[in-house]
Amino acid sequence: MQETMFIDPQRCIGCRSCVAACRECSTHKGYSMIYVDYLDRSETTATMPTVCMHCTEPTCALVCPADAIKMNEDGVVMSALKPRCLDCRNCVNACPFGVPKYNSEMHLQMKCDMCYDRTSEGLKPMCASVCPTGAISFGTYEQIVPLRRTKPVNAHIFGNQKVETKVYLMLPTDEREIRVDGCGVFEGRVAVDGEPTESWIDTQVEETDKSNEF
Amino acid sequence: MEGSGSRSISTDVDYFRPTVYGLAASAVLTLLVVVGSRSLLHYDSALFGYTVASVAAFGAIVFRYAIWLQRPATRAYWRRGWQLFLDRGRIGGNFGTAAKTIATNLLEQRFIFKRSRSRWLMHLLIMWGCIFSAAITFPLVFGWIHFELEGARGYRAYLFGFPLQTMDGRGLLAWLTFHALDFTALMVIAGCALAIHRRLYDRGAIALQQFLLDFVPHLLLIAISVSGLMLTASSLWFEGYMYSFISLSHQALVIMTLFFLPFGKLFHIVQRPASIGVELYQQRARELPQAKCRRCGVEFASEMWLGDLKEVVDKLGFDYTMAGGEKLQDYCPRCKRILRGLAYAGLADKTDRVF
Repeated sequence: MQETMFIDPQRCIGCRSCVAACRECSTHKGYSMIYVDYLDRSETTATMPTVCMHCTEPTCALVCPADAIKMNEDGVVMSALKPRCLDCRNCVNACPFGVPKYNSEMHLQMKCDMCYDRTSEGLKPMCASVCPTGAISFGTYEQIVPLRRTKPVNAHIFGNQKVETKVYLMLPTDEREIRVDGCGVFEGRVAVDGEPTESWIDTQVEETDKSNEF
Repeated sequence: MEGSGSRSISTDVDYFRPTVYGLAASAVLTLLVVVGSRSLLHYDSALFGYTVASVAAFGAIVFRYAIWLQRPATRAYWRRGWQLFLDRGRIGGNFGTAAKTIATNLLEQRFIFKRSRSRWLMHLLIMWGCIFSAAITFPLVFGWIHFELEGARGYRAYLFGFPLQTMDGRGLLAWLTFHALDFTALMVIAGCALAIHRRLYDRGAIALQQFLLDFVPHLLLIAISVSGLMLTASSLWFEGYMYSFISLSHQALVIMTLFFLPFGKLFHIVQRPASIGVELYQQRARELPQAKCRRCGVEFASEMWLGDLKEVVDKLGFDYTMAGGEKLQDYCPRCKRILRGLAYAGLADKTDRVF
């Protein structure tokens, strides 16, 4: 079986080692393509690590007008081809996982490509090799799953849309898929003298996490 | 790499109209060759192979472009781009925007400079080398430009059969004109050398590159340039030694490259000008009402753009309608990640024994 990533958010301690390590990847040198988001900072310390899930039918690639996003023979969805990307940002807003990043000055989209420079040589992706808690693991299904009591799932239901992915999410329950629906809770913006200011949470995260611009 | 667009694109591709457009383009070019060379009077029959290849390649490029425009997202941008461009009352400003985009994106290529300086230099050398070469060779091949002797040393160039100024055949201008292709060949060789150097030493490039898509175009361009320089060397210094063999090899290499244009890396030459439309689209989008994220309320895209995107997503057969009737695309990327995180966090029932 092919090697892939196994993401276990309940193991994530929000240390952001993965964010720092991701910058070392040769295919997007200097720019991190992974996210560690706070869920609801006033309620919980829980964080959500997000890498590209490498959909089997990638929405990002299909909404690309330049046909710049390709999937390779291992099922890894690659960053946009540099000569083709027109910086239209369709992929940024179409991706159900909120993954692709863009840079307007470079006219370029980039995203997690599962450290293809490393994985194609038998090495682990940078994030998986530095994660201290195993929230991000890389290996074959047979290697990783027997070590965990969580259940690997590679199907998400966003509203009415089922999205199957190469990357697995480790669920603490016996669900066969994870259902994402509804608005969720937002801390809201703190109003000072009637003027809405930046939300408290926005002051806690990096600029690139807010806008997806790298 | 396999194509990513198997979902909808293979099911409703219309080959008929692109074929008609391609054949029509080839026919128009053939007509222009006949007209421009004054009923083939000034046409050089030694260049017949190049002409046939150019006519066929032009049709193939138009065919490929028409197929490309059938992608739902491409079609949406194409239609909306032209609609915004031709908007009455704004057309003057739109010309200004387009001119600025052409200057910064296509001529100066500032965005490549931002990606990497050496990459910018590499692309500059290859692009201008190829553009100048094409601007010289295609009109010569099609008989649109020819030279005639006037007096002992005077050369007069004719464009579409209309006379231009004469020049001294032994003068500097003539020397530069006759050797222009040698200079452009040197530019292309230098640019391709930079590109190949990067592809041999850059870890990221090594991981992603493919021989056919990334090396072959550079190797073909180098081979064309070297064989072109060999033609000059043969005629100048070796009394025409092996000239016809080199000439045939050069022709074969050029024809191979022309037929390679609609595929892979080289297709960006005809595709890239679309960035003018995208830039115009984005500029207008910034002026129009902005969509706010359903969760955090931040303005993250224009309503027009988001509307177009949702239409494209629907056309592709996805249904991201959420329980509240909104689409997943109504959330900003960060809130999409957090929604997923909250869904995950909500999975475990606190009263359940999880492990």
